[in-house]
Amino acid sequence: MPEVIATRLTPAIAQRLVEVCPTAAFRIEEEERHRRPQLKLSYGDCIGCGRCFEPSEGAVVAAKSFHWCGQAKDQLVRAWDLDSRTEMTTQQPAPGYARDGIHALFGRALNIRQLDAGSCNGCEAEISALTNPYYDLERFGIHFVASPRHADMLLVTGPVTRNMADAVKATYEAVPAPKLVVAVGACGCSGGIFAGSHAVVGAVDAVIPVDGYIPGCPPTPAMLVTGIIEVLRRRVAK
Amino acid sequence: MKENAPAEVPAVVKVPAGPTFMLPKAEDGGASRLVTIFGSLGPMRQKRVHYVFDVGTRDYRQMMLPVEDTVRSIALQVPAASWYERELHDGYGVEVSEHPDLRPLIFHDQWPDSVHPMVDAVDQVPWTSREYRFLTVQGNGIAEVAVGPVHAGIIEPGHFRFSVMGDTVLHLELRHFYTHKGTEKLFEGSLVHSGAMIAESVSGDNCFAHAVSYSQAVEDACRVPVPPRASAIRLIGLELERLVCHISDVGGLCTDVGFGVGAASATCIKESLLQASSKCCGTRYWRGIAVPGGLRFDLDSRMVQELSRVVSSAAREFSELARLILETPSIQGRFETAGILRKDVARELAIVGPVARASGIDLDVRRDHPYGQYPGVKFEVPVTHYGDVMARARIRIEEAAISARLIQETANALPSGSVLEPLELVGEFQGSSAVESPRGELFYWLEGQDTRISRCHIKSPSFQNWPAMPFAVADNIIADFPLVNKSFNLSYSGCDR
Repeated sequence: MPEVIATRLTPAIAQRLVEVCPTAAFRIEEEERHRRPQLKLSYGDCIGCGRCFEPSEGAVVAAKSFHWCGQAKDQLVRAWDLDSRTEMTTQQPAPGYARDGIHALFGRALNIRQLDAGSCNGCEAEISALTNPYYDLERFGIHFVASPRHADMLLVTGPVTRNMADAVKATYEAVPAPKLVVAVGACGCSGGIFAGSHAVVGAVDAVIPVDGYIPGCPPTPAMLVTGIIEVLRRRVAK
Repeated sequence: MKENAPAEVPAVVKVPAGPTFMLPKAEDGGASRLVTIFGSLGPMRQKRVHYVFDVGTRDYRQMMLPVEDTVRSIALQVPAASWYERELHDGYGVEVSEHPDLRPLIFHDQWPDSVHPMVDAVDQVPWTSREYRFLTVQGNGIAEVAVGPVHAGIIEPGHFRFSVMGDTVLHLELRHFYTHKGTEKLFEGSLVHSGAMIAESVSGDNCFAHAVSYSQAVEDACRVPVPPRASAIRLIGLELERLVCHISDVGGLCTDVGFGVGAASATCIKESLLQASSKCCGTRYWRGIAVPGGLRFDLDSRMVQELSRVVSSAAREFSELARLILETPSIQGRFETAGILRKDVARELAIVGPVARASGIDLDVRRDHPYGQYPGVKFEVPVTHYGDVMARARIRIEEAAISARLIQETANALPSGSVLEPLELVGEFQGSSAVESPRGELFYWLEGQDTRISRCHIKSPSFQNWPAMPFAVADNIIADFPLVNKSFNLSYSGCDR
């Protein structure tokens, strides 16, 4: 995922970023109060293709570690003032502990139901990696369950296709409250590369309410863990 | 017991309509193998139907038939054509006379009959409700089991309708295309250079094969030679994808028979390869690397060497694991004779990839229609004729070892030089390319003008192989379905597109 080095930004570079981005994740907008130009980067739209690195003259690099996972939708957008070359969005807080969130919300364990709403299976591949011995999500008390009736959290991947929309709604209804919904991947967050297709209804939040977003195409297992923990933390903090 | 044909489709149309053509014969005089059928629009938006056959020569035999409204079905002579003709009917509104089953395939109950997205406007398609009739098996003691589209696990969506007698499956009807995202239509008007990104999102775990196949089709269209270094790195990526996929599949088979040690070990080996990929090229699944003309960026030769070392130790670990799996009696008991796909069925349905090779069909695009770096490398194509779960597992185990060897040989003799040849896109172009993806023959056909694509068709091996599943599952107990399904390892998204 891209990381912007604010001090290296110039209006010309920002313009090139906007031109080169295939999913319009980079935008230049005027800020409302002083009408100053801002570069905005929406991680929910980004597919991590890296096409912004080359023309950026070092102003955009690959993020070494990426924490913008599990946020609310508006928090996925970062903004930089192009005149002062400073970031206007506040940095998100450091991730908390899975244990704290799970205990406060659900008692002992978090049961997750993964739901594919039309994904390309890239996100599925990474989600199933969470159960391998490297990441071993079970040790945090997080389980993947077979039925939405057993679930506390829905992890929804893919743009919601027209053919899947009813099944997505039915699955959401089948999860008992309290429930959390996390939209996974660029497609789940924004529709990604499939946004606007005639066979796609839209992002996950076009069909069911979403509590947090995990961007990436696909998100790495580390991003998925970070995102799941952050969604729990935010719900507890509410 | 009586099987009901779908009511609205008469089994025999009395007056066949539409142009006909002779099915091509193979070089050796036998039957040719159907690769794909798809529609396109000509310069005046007249409908055209394309047929692609493998006749045993290096190049595929491609034919194009201009049609008014109707084309004559070839599904009764070539059963493999059935789904393609239904897709053509759905997308282009082309009537297919004499087709035994023209129920909607791609578009479900919420789509109106009158809208054919490849030719009609699709910005305001109304939501409707139409009935889909499953084939019903009738008789005393026969029960129906409906599974999906949402499955119990981290799996893609699809619907399976089993008709069972006790535990035994008499008939399985598939209803797929839940993940249909209109991908082929998304290519329309897209920039040639951006097309690789769409191709990568057809089937996420085979994204590199899709990107390479798309890129090769563009390179074929504008006759651009790919630099040797790019070709070599592509081979490494393609074989690595196969290795990862096969290791993951064998692990998945262990999961489905409750062999936890095998499953966990396989996921470990797979993860080591993904992490090595991430170090070598910054992406775990080789996304965003292949583009028309070569590669988007070069890889550091030392990092490729490092990757090759990880591949070598992963291959060693996997072969030890494979021996353990194959020598475990409880595994043998579950794998052997489960889900047999007979060779004649596999041939009639033009099955491809490891599934075909496990049923005695000797085909591999890398050898039969060589591309990229493959004419320069030597490798054997494992084939076995049992056609059961064990045969498919063995084929994957053997292919994984071959892939690992190819990666090491290529990494040791990596050519130097540039990795990207600039494209000159002027005027109209048309090209095609085939790649042996981990699931089998993947074929891209595209057409465009200047810098934009006007039509891109993707023949995915999963679309080809899914219709064989009901034949492999019949007469097995329903509890073995997940195992048989896993042994095919078909992509839903790749099929649905």
